[in-house]
Amino acid sequence: MKRLQRLSSAIALSALMATTVAPAFIGPAKAATLSGGFDVGPGGFQGNFNPLAATGGFTWLSVYFEPLVTYDAKLEKVVGQLASSYEVSPDQLTYAFTLVDAKWHDGKPFTAKDAKFTIELAKNAKTGSVLAARLSAVSSVEAKDDNTLIIKLSAPSASLMDTLTKVMMLPEHALSQIPADQLAKNTWWSTAPIGTGPFKFSKYVTDQYVELVANTDYRGGQPALEKIINRYFANPAAAIAALRAGEIQFTYVDSNDLKAFDNNKDFRVIEGNSFVVNYLGFNHDSPIWKDVRVRQAVMYAINRDAIIQSLYGGAAEPANCAYVADQVVPKGIETYAYDPEKAKQLLKDAGWDEINGNKPVTLLTYYTTPLAANVMAAVQAMLAQVGINVTPRAVDTPTYNSIVLNPTPDVAQFQMVYAGLQNGPDPGSINVGLNEKQIPPAGPNVARVRMPVLTAALDAALGETDAAKRSARYQDVCKVMNKELPWGPLWVAKRYGVASARLKDFIWTPAPGGGPYQAHPEKWAIAE
Amino acid sequence: MLRYSLRRLLIGVGMLLALSVLIFAMLRLTPGDPIDAYIDPNIPMSSSDLAELRATLGLDQPLPVQYLGWLRQALTGNLGYSIKRPDQPVLGLVLSRVGPTVLLMGSAIAIAIVAGIATGVISAVRRNSVADLSLSVFAVTGISSPPFLSALVGLYLFSVYFNWMPSGGMLTPGQEFSIADLLHHLILPATLLAVAQTALIMRYMRASMLEVLSQDYVRTARAKGVFEFWVITKHALRNALLPVITLIGSTIGLAIGGAIFIESVFNWPGMGLLMVDAVEGRDYPVIMGSTLVIGACVIVVNLLTDLAYAVVDPRIKVG
Repeated sequence: MKRLQRLSSAIALSALMATTVAPAFIGPAKAATLSGGFDVGPGGFQGNFNPLAATGGFTWLSVYFEPLVTYDAKLEKVVGQLASSYEVSPDQLTYAFTLVDAKWHDGKPFTAKDAKFTIELAKNAKTGSVLAARLSAVSSVEAKDDNTLIIKLSAPSASLMDTLTKVMMLPEHALSQIPADQLAKNTWWSTAPIGTGPFKFSKYVTDQYVELVANTDYRGGQPALEKIINRYFANPAAAIAALRAGEIQFTYVDSNDLKAFDNNKDFRVIEGNSFVVNYLGFNHDSPIWKDVRVRQAVMYAINRDAIIQSLYGGAAEPANCAYVADQVVPKGIETYAYDPEKAKQLLKDAGWDEINGNKPVTLLTYYTTPLAANVMAAVQAMLAQVGINVTPRAVDTPTYNSIVLNPTPDVAQFQMVYAGLQNGPDPGSINVGLNEKQIPPAGPNVARVRMPVLTAALDAALGETDAAKRSARYQDVCKVMNKELPWGPLWVAKRYGVASARLKDFIWTPAPGGGPYQAHPEKWAIAE
Repeated sequence: MLRYSLRRLLIGVGMLLALSVLIFAMLRLTPGDPIDAYIDPNIPMSSSDLAELRATLGLDQPLPVQYLGWLRQALTGNLGYSIKRPDQPVLGLVLSRVGPTVLLMGSAIAIAIVAGIATGVISAVRRNSVADLSLSVFAVTGISSPPFLSALVGLYLFSVYFNWMPSGGMLTPGQEFSIADLLHHLILPATLLAVAQTALIMRYMRASMLEVLSQDYVRTARAKGVFEFWVITKHALRNALLPVITLIGSTIGLAIGGAIFIESVFNWPGMGLLMVDAVEGRDYPVIMGSTLVIGACVIVVNLLTDLAYAVVDPRIKVG
């Protein structure tokens, strides 16, 4: 017992000394080191080092890897990264990329052979690549010479360039010896990866942080920072605590946590478009939504402006189809302004009492944040006022997916979903959620939308390779959605990051999946 | 005793096998699989990609085939690879988490024992004084505060508001390892984890001490003119400790439960954080691996405890 007491006293004493002594020499990291929660929030993918398996996390991956092309910082157009320019043949089947002179982090030159090697890996599902199906239109890849890459397609693809922004170039000389089916399991990704980006991989401390050091040979100039550290956090709240404590200089922040940074000159709030439309998905397998008047009633019954103002603090824009961007929203579509009386009348006309009456309607969601819980409660109360008795149910993502992606689903479990879907920067990304050909198991059209007119509009838009005409095609999609209401579109929310006011030339935007986009990490700096 | 130990170890192996079947079956009963966890519903992904991924991971095989495949690997000491982090073997991942959890829990238990016993004794000796009342208020608050509340309040106060302690992690990123840095990160989560246990030990200690202090032998010691300090520490404390020691043993389970939560709040890289993360991601191999390691630890500790009883108390025979 005495020994135990002595041991306990020793631990307590050491701990006490640590708290009093430590601050003297454990200060914040050096000024040339930027620490951030780069994988916090919806665009992050903590713990993933393999770009072929990445469904997110591109903000961080693109600090040390680079794609051939990327988005500009406003996510408006695709621009060159490792490709300086590209040409498309008149038949839209051949793309010729001219590559820049770049070096891998180990000093070897980056060539078109590496690009060919990477795209072939990304096309090969055996590598665990999540890009394989998206690259299925690629029939061949050739390295014409060290600086010229030719990609040939079997059919024109409007989404090829968007997909190529996600294909981070990988070094053939480092990976070619690893069999494709063993590549994902190789420790190279988290121990010694090499890219062409402005920072080089230094170390990974399991589930704590990843450290990168400056690539002094970077073709865009020597980076201003010495190190960049990506801290891992179990949730955004923990990252906010670290930000406020001065341990990190940047993180994603939920919109309802922004108040903590209001009028605080030590921080800069960065606002951006989430490019995710939130919607109420009517399960079209359920007979209760057959009559369009019932779907319209749901739209009129929900006071979206009130929810946006009171719950989102104004940080969202009402959506009347899948889009809110001017170029894809036609003029004169119905705005479904809040009108509960009209909603009641529509339900009466449709015979709602016979269709369903007061029976509970399940509203399933995978959003488990406090904000989403409040939104669900508001929607429930507003629909109850017009006579639709909704029962919200929030589950974790795997449970949600297992219910809604089931090829033979139990409709009673999700007569409605509250969900979101990426609607940009490539407007074609909503196709999978609305096209009749994408009903599970074929794809993630979880609302089982079967509307030939909508499918035709989506197919026409996807097949349009003329950039000038593409927006008009998506306006057609918007018109059909607005009239037929395959979903009840709600809003497109804004998303936020908060950076220390000491950060200079720091570019970040809450891109879906974290981007990638031109963030120019080589220019990021911290004021002394 | 050797025979007994071997028999117990064999039974232990059988129990681990049964545990693995149970966990495997229970995991498959939970909705969703690793691929379902992998899909962000906001990001479009094609079903053929997902089917291919399922096949790559062997999730399209019948369940008995999957289990036997896992078991065959496990018997060779290979617990497979994490699905969420396919480049990391499960065994290494799990073993790397044992140390941090033992450090956190051990420190918390040590703090709870020292602080709980000391405050319990003070409360009993200074019965009904201001110190006793204040400590009782602390104890009631401590016992009734769920770990999530004390963790978040502590984090806000000591890390965000006063900026005395780091808000999470085990070491300062980008700096060389040092014991001082480790302790600086450890003290807040360990203390917060210890709060409820300290309060509980304090209440028991106080009650037990009050009972002992009214015993005849304590009165006799005082009558003999023994210093009050020695009366308390030598005569009363030793006897009062017995029920408290039993309590300490039984509250270790409380510490394990609390540690899982504290590790999540403070991003402490221990078993709790690993398991929470694995369950959220339906990372079957990691859940199986970490459960087996914990199961094996419990079996070995139980065996050692039984053997220790026999060594300490000759009246107990094993075998």
